[in-house]
Amino acid sequence: MALAVEIPDRVDPYLDIDEYEPEADLMVLNLGPQHPSTHGVFHVKLFLDGEIIIKAVPYAGYLHRGVEKLCEKLMFTQITPIVDKNDYVSPMMNEQAINMAFEALLGVEVPRRARYVRTIEAELQRIASHLLWLGTFGMDLGGALGGGATIFMHCFRERESILDLFEEVTGCRFHYNTHTIGGNRHDITPGWADHVKQALDVIDQRIPEYESLMTGNRIFVERTRGVGVLKAELAMELGITGPMLRAAGVSHDLRRHAPYHAYDEIKVKVQTEKAGDSLARTLVRIREMSESSRIVRELIDNVPEGPICGHKPIKIATQERAQSGQAYACLESPRGELGTYVIGGGANKGASPYRLKIRPPSLHAVSCLPYVLPGHTVSDAVTILGSTDPIIGEVDR
Amino acid sequence: MKALAGISGFGGALLHGAVYGILIVTVLMTVTAWSIWFERKFSGRMQSRLGPTLVGPAGLLQPLADALKLLQKESIVPASADKALFRLAPPLTVLFALGTAAVIPFSPKVIAADLDVGVLYLLALSGLMVFPVWIAGWASNNKYSLLGGMRAVAQGISYEVPLVLAAMVPVVLSGSMKLSEIVRFQRHHGWFIAWPPGPGLLAFVLFFMASLAEANRIPFDIPEAESELVAGVTTEYTGMEFGLFYLSEYLHTLIVSAVAAALFFGGWDGPFAPGLFWMVLKTLLLFGSIFWIRWTLLRFRSDQLMVICWKYLVPGGLVLVMAAAVWVQFITPNQTATGMAPAAPSAVPAQPLFHEEVP
Amino acid sequence: MKGVVLDKKVVALLGERFGVEEFPDDVPPLLDGTRHFELARALKDEIGYRLYGFCVASHWLETTPKKGGDPDPEHYEVATGLRAPGKRSTLAVWRVRLSMDEEIESLVPLFAGADWQEREQYDLVGVRFANHPDLRRLMMPEDWEGHPLRKDYAIETACPPWR
Repeated sequence: MALAVEIPDRVDPYLDIDEYEPEADLMVLNLGPQHPSTHGVFHVKLFLDGEIIIKAVPYAGYLHRGVEKLCEKLMFTQITPIVDKNDYVSPMMNEQAINMAFEALLGVEVPRRARYVRTIEAELQRIASHLLWLGTFGMDLGGALGGGATIFMHCFRERESILDLFEEVTGCRFHYNTHTIGGNRHDITPGWADHVKQALDVIDQRIPEYESLMTGNRIFVERTRGVGVLKAELAMELGITGPMLRAAGVSHDLRRHAPYHAYDEIKVKVQTEKAGDSLARTLVRIREMSESSRIVRELIDNVPEGPICGHKPIKIATQERAQSGQAYACLESPRGELGTYVIGGGANKGASPYRLKIRPPSLHAVSCLPYVLPGHTVSDAVTILGSTDPIIGEVDR
Repeated sequence: MKALAGISGFGGALLHGAVYGILIVTVLMTVTAWSIWFERKFSGRMQSRLGPTLVGPAGLLQPLADALKLLQKESIVPASADKALFRLAPPLTVLFALGTAAVIPFSPKVIAADLDVGVLYLLALSGLMVFPVWIAGWASNNKYSLLGGMRAVAQGISYEVPLVLAAMVPVVLSGSMKLSEIVRFQRHHGWFIAWPPGPGLLAFVLFFMASLAEANRIPFDIPEAESELVAGVTTEYTGMEFGLFYLSEYLHTLIVSAVAAALFFGGWDGPFAPGLFWMVLKTLLLFGSIFWIRWTLLRFRSDQLMVICWKYLVPGGLVLVMAAAVWVQFITPNQTATGMAPAAPSAVPAQPLFHEEVP
Repeated sequence: MKGVVLDKKVVALLGERFGVEEFPDDVPPLLDGTRHFELARALKDEIGYRLYGFCVASHWLETTPKKGGDPDPEHYEVATGLRAPGKRSTLAVWRVRLSMDEEIESLVPLFAGADWQEREQYDLVGVRFANHPDLRRLMMPEDWEGHPLRKDYAIETACPPWR
């Protein structure tokens, strides 16, 4: 069946559709912004020939809240709870990224105990985020009233146990505001390690079950194999990092190759797959969950004694001032490289940053859509969008 | 009832059909409404959560609450929709679904219209059930509904073929299209699911899959694929019109289970208890297994669906009909429905069953 | 700059071929605006910085130094970062200074990921990128007036009523 437009190997996302013959009769379908499975308020305009997508144009900005402008008038400690809401699924990552940037700007050392606690919290957050992704991905494929809902319920039940752990430490299930310049505000208690191990025992037993529920399911494999293939070169040009890049075959993980926190004391096994399709991304994320569980078990019993915060506690928000200087700090969030670029010397005589820019991994992941979607059907569009694990709060800030 | 027993002939058949028809329709609609409760409880337990518990004891009045909620909503017709067709589609789905219930043999006595061409009637109405979905997709004037409608048509007419082929197997084996004859044949010669060994079971699997596709159930529910097409064909419907689509889906599933029970599992055949009990039990077991499949599996993509139908189910169906024909012609050439010598079909009078039946 | 240590190959490249002499501790090295694309190409093809990092633009108002001297005119600064994936992954970051009507060369022919980052910086700060295939607003609605992240854009600016 010949398409109205030939789809080349390297798609040109700026294709001018009007050039093609009028009898082609391409239909324009708007996927979103209100849609059950666009993972937030996201809009992709699809140009269809029958059911095959010829061109896809994503529109971002529906969730733009002006976080960067807002942070220019807030003090450093006031920024942490605002930035929590960017990647609203893994708030620990946002907080850690922002505080790492401020620590670099102000030249503050983080003590060893805080680095261990940050690592453990980050890995637990990674498991929770991937569980949420697996549940919603199943829903995309199988329907909110159907087989997908079953996997969704199971994944969220495991996620609840992790959120209970966080509640024990920080008092919040979500959006913790537990990090500060120089360390953490909340220290872990001696009993927490046992609770973590109990929760991980249950999760370690269930992750292979979920893996077989998905990958042993013939329908799942047929719907994700070969769908949304992203080549490594294109991924790197697009700036995609994280499980999407690793599924394309590139072994690049900031935890191993540019270590921070306590990752220089342990060895993280980087999970890669070669195919670059949605099935590969699923496998990479599931294996990353097991790997994170292993890392937490390795660290939880060996947390060194010492102060949890290396800097004097901040009682007044204007305590920390930076008159000049530019800093960039990044970490490996469940979606890729989450970085923060901060320029010091802003309002309130330097107590606010002059410019704060967050480099969100989901922005790059979602910008792969014009390259990957053409040639697939509308059902595949939902699968591919789900497998890129986009968080629109992060894309738009 | 006794006074009516005297009326025979066409008037009697009409009266019989009307009385039993109304009875069956009422019972079916009630059972369908409570199947909503059953589904929610069952799926809840499968996902380690409780289903509805608040409304009535153990949530049993939930369907009533749902129906009341839908009834009191405004029925919105989009300004640019085709108003006549838009309003026509929901009642049509229920109509065709209920129409098929006329020929199902619930027990030796309880059957609204025991047509000589029962199976043909069933298949014809299944084919008609594609229309309301398509009409709804077109009349909504909405791209999502249109896509859903087109997919529904493609799926519906494709899966007609394996459905017909699979339904032909019991017809060939028993030599009659009359559903009560098929049930009686199974009573005497063994259920088709087990005897003849092989073709019967495979024909059941084919019939089951094709019926799931006709009823738009997961894994074949592309026309109403919620995560892709918002609500597919039913996107623009509100209130009780949406409720009718919802209801007709459960009704269609229930009827498909009843038909499968009659064609392959021996219908009302069973020891100790009256026929009605066995028929209801078999229907409900099949109905439950359809839900079980729904809440476990993901859905197929539309092109994968077509591949399954045309490359696997249709050739399989043809082979099975051939196998059934070989069985009847060469292996058991002297059997008929009632085990008597081959006789004309009209040897047993096809009368409305107010009278004593011939077992 | 703080938090980023430039690899010695990058330092050598910048020093020898691009005439960068100062590598201060607290800010990225300043590069001549006309050589921006060339540097990115050299880093991508020769040294292997193939992973696109980020693009940050900031708006600086006219300032007068307290000790006297020439006032620093209003200008933009664009900082770009590229990463080399794999073992011992490092970042290469540099700054370009632009006056208010100058344009900077777009990196889209080299890195497809620069597309959205540059559109966002155009949208929010107002920096124009030459040879960008589709420079339009990303975050704000298409018909918005003004660039919100500029220093002369008040945060209390009323937004027009939703149409």
